[in-house]
Amino acid sequence: MASPIADLTYRNYDGPLEPPINRWWAIAKLSMKLSMKKKGFWVWASFSTFWYAILLIIFYVNETLVTSAGPVGQKASIFNTISWKDQFLNAFNESQLFLFILALLMGAGTIANDNRAKALLVYLSKPCTKLDYVIGKWLGIFVPMTLVTAAPTVIFYFYCLMSYRSYGFWSQDPWLILKLCGMILLPGICYSSISLAISSMFQQGRLAGGVFAGLYFITYFITAAMNGAYVSITMNNNEAPSIVKNLFYCSVDGIQNAMAKILLHTNGSTQIPIPGQGGQAKFQVPEPSTLVFVPAFFLICGLSVLIAWSQIRAVEVVR
Amino acid sequence: MSIATIQNLVVRYGNFTALNGLTCEIPEGCTGLLGPNGAGKTTLLKTILGFVKPTSGTATVLGYDIATAGKSIRQKVGLMPEQDCHIPGTTAVQFVAYAGELAGMPAGQAIRRAHEVLDYCGLGEARYRNVETYSTGMKQRIKLAQALVHGPKLLLLDEPTNGLDPAGREEMLELVRSVSHGKGLSVIVSSHLLPDIERVCDRVIVVMQGQLRASGTIKDLKKIEGQPIDIELRDTSPAFVTALQNLGAIVLPPKRTIYRIQLPGLPEEVAKIAMKTARETGAQIRGFVVAERSLEDAFLEAISAK
Repeated sequence: MASPIADLTYRNYDGPLEPPINRWWAIAKLSMKLSMKKKGFWVWASFSTFWYAILLIIFYVNETLVTSAGPVGQKASIFNTISWKDQFLNAFNESQLFLFILALLMGAGTIANDNRAKALLVYLSKPCTKLDYVIGKWLGIFVPMTLVTAAPTVIFYFYCLMSYRSYGFWSQDPWLILKLCGMILLPGICYSSISLAISSMFQQGRLAGGVFAGLYFITYFITAAMNGAYVSITMNNNEAPSIVKNLFYCSVDGIQNAMAKILLHTNGSTQIPIPGQGGQAKFQVPEPSTLVFVPAFFLICGLSVLIAWSQIRAVEVVR
Repeated sequence: MSIATIQNLVVRYGNFTALNGLTCEIPEGCTGLLGPNGAGKTTLLKTILGFVKPTSGTATVLGYDIATAGKSIRQKVGLMPEQDCHIPGTTAVQFVAYAGELAGMPAGQAIRRAHEVLDYCGLGEARYRNVETYSTGMKQRIKLAQALVHGPKLLLLDEPTNGLDPAGREEMLELVRSVSHGKGLSVIVSSHLLPDIERVCDRVIVVMQGQLRASGTIKDLKKIEGQPIDIELRDTSPAFVTALQNLGAIVLPPKRTIYRIQLPGLPEEVAKIAMKTARETGAQIRGFVVAERSLEDAFLEAISAK
């Protein structure tokens, strides 16, 4: 029973109220908090760093061989022919599937579940605009995704900078850190935009997730098929037609790969550094056209955000 | 002082006109928005909040123009929507605190106030439960809590007793009545349930086909033209009726022993005449009251008027 001095009647709030602008940050904060509360977020975020872990093991073993085998080992060292930026590109490409799963986890239900729970009535009856809502939701996916991509990349960069400067880590590309800063933004921009658009079209997070997964894997199939075609053509010492090269990048996965190659200005090399082979760059689909793929990337992301924005309504207006 | 002034407001959804030149003034206090289904009540609330853009006309809410100051209006207004709504994946306290933050409260204040409002709405014990597990009654209460958290100056309640059992309905009406009286908070209750409106509101606005049909205090609306009085006698008395009719009174057939009589003049004067006539005819008067119609009758008259 309440104490006789407890005042349980309604009292009006007379504390401070911030001006009704920039409410997107409150929305982004809650979205991030809810995402990071899920165990799956941490599991898949950890898995996305696996390629860096493999590289560290390869480097450690190779370094140990070099010191133990003397001049013979030094000659066989992967560090003699390694392309450092390609290691970041490979790790970036290998993490794509896990980043997609993270996007699925965070983004598929972000608006769809709000549609189901009619949460837009809550958001838009407060001093929030549709733009605040979209920006908040977008940032709610973008920020965690970027942190997940950035953390292993930056750690690996500084580890290599401290350990392999003598093997050309710094001299190969002194601006690498800036290029990597651009690269780590790509999954966040791409996945948050696409997942937001898909999520806004559904009333159920699962349905949105299914469609997002369908889009990812169907387009991934195109990339995989074009990769196979490209390798078989080049193995016969023929020049692959440009349609094969361009279609290779026409997927959720591929367009990020294209952007990463453009940013790092590389054609890429084999996943596992092969001693003395210079990374077998021959079988890698070369860097795509900047003039085509950079505008395409931003157009896709921009259109996706626009779709999400246009789908958001506080009330159903029947016409 | 009025909290909302609406002039010639027209809202169209394609070819359908939901509000058709609505003009009214909503004063401070608790006002009921009455009308049959599809009359335009919810559209009016949505237009006030800026969810729907009016085709023409103007409106100001708390001194702000709805066309230009939607955000300022929404910061000072709390909406309890008709449908169940919540933020998925949150507990009650997170949801209400978040609603406060969205309205512009600093995070610390929002969480403190969320606890306070949840206690007030009777959800103190369930505050750490996920909102999705709540019963219908609890969902109604949490909607009220999220509307109240930032201390609005105007509260819009859209069918607040929807889906509630009699006990829940009683409690919700009590909550609404207590926030709307003497707390510096004006309330607009939209409902088609007349007893609910009569219970909590002082004034009503009757809307039909997007137009204003009647407005005023409930007391005024219930008044009958000519101000007849109801007189309860111990037994029926034809002599009393005849004597009054001889004085020019209109006397309606009795309901049990209650006669409704109408004479020119103030109710006090009519009462004096009736007392005198009763004394002369030997009728015993048991009760005397100025006759009024039910809110339902007033409402039906308002919506049937062309």
